[in-house]
Amino acid sequence: MPQSAEKTLDHAPLFCEPEYRKMLAKKKLKFECPHPDQVVSDQREFTKSWEYREKNLARQALVVNPAKACQPLGAVFAAAGFERTMSFVHGSQGCVAYYRSHLSRHFKEPSSVVSSSMTEDAAVFGGLKNMVDGLANTYKLYNPKMIAVSTTCMAEVIGDDLHGFIENAKSEGSVPRDFDVPFAHTPAFVGSHVDGYDSMVKGVLENFWKGTARSEATASVNIIPGFDGFCVGNNRELKRLLDLMQVTYMFIQDASDQFDTPSDGNFRMYDGGTKINDVKAALNAEGTLSLQYYNTRKTLDYCRAVGQATTSFRYPLGVEATDELLMAISDISTREIPEVIRLERGRLIDAMADSQAWLYGKKYAIYGDPDFVYGMARFIMETGGEPTHCLATNGTSAWEDEMKELLASSPFGKNAQVWPGKDLWALRSLLFTEPVDLLIGNSYGKYLERDTGTPLVRLTFPIFDRHHHHRFPLMGYQGGLRLLTAILDKIFDNLDRETMHAGVTDYSYDLTR
Amino acid sequence: MSSPNANIKDAFHELASERSGGKGPKARRKNCARPMAPGTAVGGCAFDGAKVALQPITDVAHLIHGPLACEGNSWDNRGTASSGPTLWRTSFTTDLTEIDIVMGHSERKLFKAIREIKEGYAPAAIFVYSTCITAMIGDDIEVVCKRASDEFALPVVPVNAPGFLGSKNLGNKLAGEALLKHVIGTVEADEPSVCDINILGEFNLSGEFWLVKPLLDKLGIRVRACIPGDARYLHVASAHRSRAAMTVCSTAFVALARKMQERWDIPFFEGSFYGISGTSEALRRIADLLVRKGADPSLLRRTEILVAEEEEKVWKRLEAYRPRLEGKRVLLNTGGVKSWSVVHALMEIGMEIVGTSVKKSTLEDRERVKQTLKEENLLFESMSPRELFSLLLERKADIMLSGGRTQYIALKAKLPWLDINQERHHAYAGYEGMVQLARQIDLAIHNPMWPQVREPAPWEPALVV
Ligand code: SF4
Ligand code: SF4
Repeated sequence: MPQSAEKTLDHAPLFCEPEYRKMLAKKKLKFECPHPDQVVSDQREFTKSWEYREKNLARQALVVNPAKACQPLGAVFAAAGFERTMSFVHGSQGCVAYYRSHLSRHFKEPSSVVSSSMTEDAAVFGGLKNMVDGLANTYKLYNPKMIAVSTTCMAEVIGDDLHGFIENAKSEGSVPRDFDVPFAHTPAFVGSHVDGYDSMVKGVLENFWKGTARSEATASVNIIPGFDGFCVGNNRELKRLLDLMQVTYMFIQDASDQFDTPSDGNFRMYDGGTKINDVKAALNAEGTLSLQYYNTRKTLDYCRAVGQATTSFRYPLGVEATDELLMAISDISTREIPEVIRLERGRLIDAMADSQAWLYGKKYAIYGDPDFVYGMARFIMETGGEPTHCLATNGTSAWEDEMKELLASSPFGKNAQVWPGKDLWALRSLLFTEPVDLLIGNSYGKYLERDTGTPLVRLTFPIFDRHHHHRFPLMGYQGGLRLLTAILDKIFDNLDRETMHAGVTDYSYDLTR
Repeated sequence: MSSPNANIKDAFHELASERSGGKGPKARRKNCARPMAPGTAVGGCAFDGAKVALQPITDVAHLIHGPLACEGNSWDNRGTASSGPTLWRTSFTTDLTEIDIVMGHSERKLFKAIREIKEGYAPAAIFVYSTCITAMIGDDIEVVCKRASDEFALPVVPVNAPGFLGSKNLGNKLAGEALLKHVIGTVEADEPSVCDINILGEFNLSGEFWLVKPLLDKLGIRVRACIPGDARYLHVASAHRSRAAMTVCSTAFVALARKMQERWDIPFFEGSFYGISGTSEALRRIADLLVRKGADPSLLRRTEILVAEEEEKVWKRLEAYRPRLEGKRVLLNTGGVKSWSVVHALMEIGMEIVGTSVKKSTLEDRERVKQTLKEENLLFESMSPRELFSLLLERKADIMLSGGRTQYIALKAKLPWLDINQERHHAYAGYEGMVQLARQIDLAIHNPMWPQVREPAPWEPALVV
């Protein structure tokens, strides 16, 4: 046995030791009735072909390796961006366990969500009792300032009426009458987590704004970040820029502190988030600006309905998009963009110029949420790259049209293809038949990286297998630098790997690049 | 709604009687009806439990019938090692949308999805999992699976454990029921031997079971089916020809073991491969059962020799760690079988247990912890994060061993932490695993980072602890 006290092997190298190899090979022979190697490799080759691609893309009833999550996950994330708010998901409990681990694994932080734990009884008789008991328990146990209620599919199929239920629960004394319990119906079989985010933020605003008239508009700007796995870095970077511009602003839904608590010997169940009083006051803001369109469609409608000016961006990344964002803010707030920011911009452009030769003409596949794919494709084209495949499992045909319009606006988008509603298994075929240089997405792309050899840059939610990326901003000019560096690092690492074979490829293994 | 069939009632009952022990029918019923308090902390659902229990069967396509998210939120979220096929890691779901549900298309969509899998992946079998929605709209997955099975000449196995039925634990049991009803016993074993065994409830996390298997190999004991860890469909289907069985994670599959004993006369015991004496004990009991079922009695002697050799070796290796770990205080926050087997293992290397959770433990498990620890108040049920946080500080733990979801509680308390659940990256089973466990605890506790982390910022007054 290879294990010894002096040199204990982790399981990866350990099971490469000859005795284990032998054991595994034997197992295969004895138990798997394995196909001959030739058949296996023929099959592997077949999955790389155009013929297979056609079959793969024609799939109708089956989704394989999806790149989206469900509505309540978005709602839970949204709730985490408000002061001392506990998420309460009305429905069966399993979903909630998933949301907690999802958020925890990405942010490397604890994540608190409770569920009304509906069971079969509730499915038959309705979930009212679960709501009554559940709110009471949550209130007692976790001492929140607000409980944000969303639903799983189960509650939706039964047709539980949240508004009525919450009223009932209040009458029964689960929580005090005036305690805030905003809610959102978030059926998971409709839309995706971005819609859940939208509904929950709207639910919170309605909870505080309904029935209150807008007074004289204050010179403040509301900012809604949208579902963003990089909120920790992004929100802080945007605040820095806004402070530099001396703008009065209010982030509505800000999970940056909740998902980045310090290790100082205190346990915080809640941290940061938009203060409830600030949410109330935000009604009177001059306007509301959303950083992600598909995440806030309903919310923005509502903001308009109460009389605010609204603008939305599509996950602004890179030079042009940041320019637009800052100018829009400058417009609403009537504040100038200061010189320091102009210098930052210059530095990003300088960096892009330094590296342009390495980026020009590179081909990319980008997948993720609709806004992310849009913003990223735009940035890629700025660097002279070609977004060859743009894929969003939760993309709609409207998104497809918008993407096409964006891609048509630049010569670098000429050969791009847009894939709404497709999954990562479809992307696998696309990568085999029309290969690209780089893949941009989340951790799930690592299997595509392995199968197709396309290097993966992890730039969106969720990132489970790398640490701390979310702590750095992608937005703003600083964020642009980080994007640029992440992509360049991947290109250079890959180049080094390809050229390091002594005597075979190392004529290009260079020091200076 | 699809009717809760006898299986489910049965599993419910079993679960309840375990919880309430001999408390009489009234207490039991109470447990059946409302297993979880709404609005408190949550664990996984029955669907999750069923999927976890079966997904490591590696050459099977696991198809989740429901809206996208039951699978979309959770696919590929567990590390269990496969020595061959990777199909089990691929996520398949019917992604039901509102239109499918309203138009009543979902059963047809499921059938089509099964066909698409069959054509695209040619798996050894397809397992179809129901979820809350498909159960509630009344999809009869049993019928669809039966039809698909006939038409495609391929085992298509319904796993009827929608989330709302209850806890993950219940789901584990329903998974066992599905195997019993549709899989085990459907294929005859070729060349069955008197030394064939089943291991139930072993997940082969980080390839852990591979540390044990060579020991069994040496004794000439063949693991016909390790369920589910690194299993192949054929192993599982022919598991009824084994001569003895051991359940490792007893909460998961003890009912399955019991029923296999009734139906095929396969005796079993509950054991563990954690710790030195735990491993030795397991080997002895396997040998003992096999001999009673007709294996050559020399197996007992050979087992003793192997145990003696291995124990000597492993104690020698552990010597390096003992002085570094002796007297260190551990808080264990994990459930089920690990609460006693790991407790025992840690005590063997001289560590002090300052608490262990027994939230998923069976009554028997609990008894065992009590016997090992001798002190009642060291046992605790599941706790809120804040309580756990206080407990760590109060009891002056040097390290917490738990699963990923509670790791940050220890880290925020500036305490070392080691993953002992499904996301861990090290294999801890068997004698080899014990060395690894000691080493990892040593590394975690003695990382030079900790003193630094615990010091206040230099400009702060020192904290009084
Ligand atoms: S509770 Fe229902 S919807 Fe949620 S994960 Fe479990 S089966 Fe799916
Ligand atoms: S789809 Fe429904 S059942 Fe599944 S995880 Fe989401 S809310 Fe839960």
